[in-house]
Amino acid sequence: MAANRYDAVVIGGGHNGLVAAAYLARAGKKVLVLERRHLVGGSAVTEEIYPGFKYSVCSYVVSLLRPEIIRELDLSAHGLDLLPLESTVTPLPNGDYLARWADHDQTRRELYRHSPRDAEAYDEFGTLMYHLAFAVKPILSMVPPDPTSLSPADLRSLLKLANHFRGLGEEKLYPLIKLMTMSSADYLDEWFETEALKATMSASGVIGTFLGPRSPGTAYVLLHHYMGEIDGAFRAWGFAKGGTGSVSEAIASAARGLGAEIRTEASVARVIIENGRAAGVALESGEEIRANVVVSGVDPRLTFLGLIEPDELPSEFVQAIKRFRIRGSSGKVNLALDALPNLACLPGVGPHLRGAVSISPSIEYLERAYDDAKYGSFSRHPYMDIVLPSMIDPDMAPPGKHVMSIFVQYAPYELNGGWNDAQREEFGDAVIDTLSEYMPNLKEIILHRQVLTPWDMERDFGLTEGNIFHGELSLHQLFFMRPAAPWTDYHTPIKDFYQCGSGTHPGGGISGASGRLAALTMLEDM
Amino acid sequence: MSRPYDAIVIGAGHNGLTTAARLAKAGLRVLALEGRDTVGGALVTEEIHPGFKVDAACHQIGALHPGVVGDLDQALGVTPDIVRSDPVVFAPLIDGHPLLLWRDPIATAEAIATFSKRDAESWSAFVELISKAAGLLEAAYERTPPDLLSVDASDLWSLVRLGGRARRLGKRDMMEVARLLTMTAVELLDEWFENDLLKGTLGATGVTGMFQGPMAAGTAYMLLHNHVGTENGTVRSADRVRGGVGVLSHALRDLARSCGVEIRTNARVTRITVKDGRAIGVVLANGDELEAERVISNADPRRTFLDLVDPLDLAPRFVRQVQNIKYRGACAKVNLALDTLPSFAVSDPALLGGVVSISPSLDYLERAYDDAKYGDISREPYLEAVIPSLADPSLAPDGKHVMSILVQYAPYHLNDGTWDESRTSELGDRVVKTLAQYAPNLEQIVLARHVLSPRDLETDFGLTEGNIYHGEMTLDQLFFMRPVPGWARYRTPIENLYLCGAGTHPGGGVTGRPGYNAAREILKDVKRG
Repeated sequence: MAANRYDAVVIGGGHNGLVAAAYLARAGKKVLVLERRHLVGGSAVTEEIYPGFKYSVCSYVVSLLRPEIIRELDLSAHGLDLLPLESTVTPLPNGDYLARWADHDQTRRELYRHSPRDAEAYDEFGTLMYHLAFAVKPILSMVPPDPTSLSPADLRSLLKLANHFRGLGEEKLYPLIKLMTMSSADYLDEWFETEALKATMSASGVIGTFLGPRSPGTAYVLLHHYMGEIDGAFRAWGFAKGGTGSVSEAIASAARGLGAEIRTEASVARVIIENGRAAGVALESGEEIRANVVVSGVDPRLTFLGLIEPDELPSEFVQAIKRFRIRGSSGKVNLALDALPNLACLPGVGPHLRGAVSISPSIEYLERAYDDAKYGSFSRHPYMDIVLPSMIDPDMAPPGKHVMSIFVQYAPYELNGGWNDAQREEFGDAVIDTLSEYMPNLKEIILHRQVLTPWDMERDFGLTEGNIFHGELSLHQLFFMRPAAPWTDYHTPIKDFYQCGSGTHPGGGISGASGRLAALTMLEDM
Repeated sequence: MSRPYDAIVIGAGHNGLTTAARLAKAGLRVLALEGRDTVGGALVTEEIHPGFKVDAACHQIGALHPGVVGDLDQALGVTPDIVRSDPVVFAPLIDGHPLLLWRDPIATAEAIATFSKRDAESWSAFVELISKAAGLLEAAYERTPPDLLSVDASDLWSLVRLGGRARRLGKRDMMEVARLLTMTAVELLDEWFENDLLKGTLGATGVTGMFQGPMAAGTAYMLLHNHVGTENGTVRSADRVRGGVGVLSHALRDLARSCGVEIRTNARVTRITVKDGRAIGVVLANGDELEAERVISNADPRRTFLDLVDPLDLAPRFVRQVQNIKYRGACAKVNLALDTLPSFAVSDPALLGGVVSISPSLDYLERAYDDAKYGDISREPYLEAVIPSLADPSLAPDGKHVMSILVQYAPYHLNDGTWDESRTSELGDRVVKTLAQYAPNLEQIVLARHVLSPRDLETDFGLTEGNIYHGEMTLDQLFFMRPVPGWARYRTPIENLYLCGAGTHPGGGVTGRPGYNAAREILKDVKRG
């Protein structure tokens, strides 16, 4: 019995769960991670779905991973190797393209070709966003205070926050507030005139949300994505060598090294609650595991409505979790390719294939893609973010062959009539047909195609409604409202039960910040 | 040249008149200049056909600031004769019975019950939430927004008191209200209700005047904004003035005059004179130059800073901020003279005495916006129609009626062409055709039609881009960001130049609040010397 007792049990071996486990183990706690699938990583996994080809099945780029986590857990020593993704090419319907490169001068020349005014504004914009990302950074690493509380700690924290903002000065504070409230299209309209540039930039404001670029609130998501950092360089996106799964593997390895135990194929059925306190978990197999504290890395809906008897929670809280917006809006298509795709606008092999290809020719294109989804259809001409991981990491595919990862938006979870096999194929066809307009040889080189709808993501990865952020990053679901006030500081209404997934502040992306902050909060309580 | 005025107010809209009256009441020598031949700005009642009078632009008023009502009462012994219709809303369907919203929440719940029992049960709690949230907003609306970067002692005190006011709501409601501020109308209403017609009818108040559909963040805020100061318990009430809104304009004019304000109409200001960074007077279209200690503009911020002031008198960064204010008018107006009452499916014509709202669902509103988003006139627009002659027969000949219709969405920036006669007439056709689906006799009973496109609203009433709020009421243009961050306290970068219109906090609607707040700040400066 004593041998089976842990200081902490982590539900879900996604990256945040693993980060939380690593930090707890690092503090000397006896920790067990329970993962339902046969491998850890949650949505951050690499799988060989088609022989010889490795897919970063779900999440496919890394950038938001907090540098302090890489440092504190020494993830490099555990095999984390991040390779930069340096360019973005947006093919245009007229056969031209807009590219942004790692080389600043090259980008400037390219932008100049489209609009001298935009080329000038681009640098100033970049500088401002860099400063704003810096201004927001401390908030991402901060446990949200409760603004309705009068406790000295909360008041202190609020005051600190107020002073932090005032310290920014008008040059940064005002744009930051605008960024928090505007649509990405409106925000970018103030700076640029080139449609493809505005569209491609605003695309990062709509990723993972059920919003269009003209929806207020998307400018913040733009900033959220701007904060990507690799080795301290803001806004550089990248791959993990070996695919996204190797990020999870590295964190798992670090956690194990620190003494954490990780069990796969151990699906948690419910949290055991005794006298109002979490006392452990029961597995689907019937096995019970005891622990002093339990922390859940799965999303708020699954956690509170799936793993806990509703009568253990205040009804108001249950209500708040029920209305937590968690609508999935994206799909994923992974391809095994016999050869390299040929871009009509940039034929042949070139450096552009080592970066991202963005299908986002104009704001109107994105808005229309969103319009389809608003009324329950998948976009006929979707926004797509495409990368070829095998170009940067040849181990991802057999020699001469390639894998292509296509992030697709919009694919609403609530599809009219519901998702089924036929709908999935139709969705896959819409993606390939649209992409073929820009890559004429695409259809001939496809060896295998994996299509993930929001339903598939829910079933396979436990993402409720297929939402990649465990809940939308809309204004009323951020910071001290994520997932539901006042339970936003990783605590829950049940004593000794915590949450550490993306459904908590700061949420979304492979950042690990939620896992780390949750672990630090738990350690403070312990 | 005569002795300079203590203050010149540019534009005699309802906010300008409010400010002018308040300043004169405090002993200042005030001149109000109006470019048109009549005061009231967009609050005018006009004869559109012999014997048919209608509120040409704005056809209903918000809750007037109690101070303005008090001034009117004190100075003139009158309170404007407000028509408070009951039911407040008649929302028809093409096939199916209409939804009625009444002043009394219990009556409304009964009406809702015929659509959804569940929604009827939620009604009283919903109404309570709206009242609480609007009450908190009202407290914020009475205050001058703090300057975030240099909060002084009095600001801090005001903020603390506002915080105390918020805390009185209790922890739960406080967070609830905080959520509401940034939500979409769709999110809010989906949380509460299931019936499409009810949600559409409520959601419509969240998009009024906005170039946004109900799926946009900030539309729940707009819904609250429209309930600030209104009667508790009543949702979507909209007051009208007996005799037309022009009557209110005249009352405010009389109030201003009785306080000693000199009002000149047909006196269009073309330039604000600035010397050494201070406003010292104005130049009129006829070349007259007038001097004043201070100048207060009721014109919208873009017009004030980009047309009336020489840009060289402003810092380039400020000019850019003003250029970035979003206007994007979304509304048009169609006024009809009718031979008889439109044939809405209704047992008693009195039920049409409030607002006839064509808003069968939230999707309907969103689709209406979709057209406008790409620069087209909505194929099936959202319509807010009133038949003021029902409660006020003096507006039309015996047995005949006038109908005033606020139309959304009609984008100021058309994708294809401009607002010429043919597009304006196309808009009129779409409105009548849409409405005729609900009142089949409509096309046959129109005696005269008067259509105001967003362009016309700009030309006739000086509303930039036809925006009825003097600037969008989106989250990024509210409170301490209205009209631009750093200048939300009615003062401007030019010394002695002030703003008092709807482009300032707390924004649009016929409330007199911006004008009332502006006067308070100006008088503070006067006192300081």
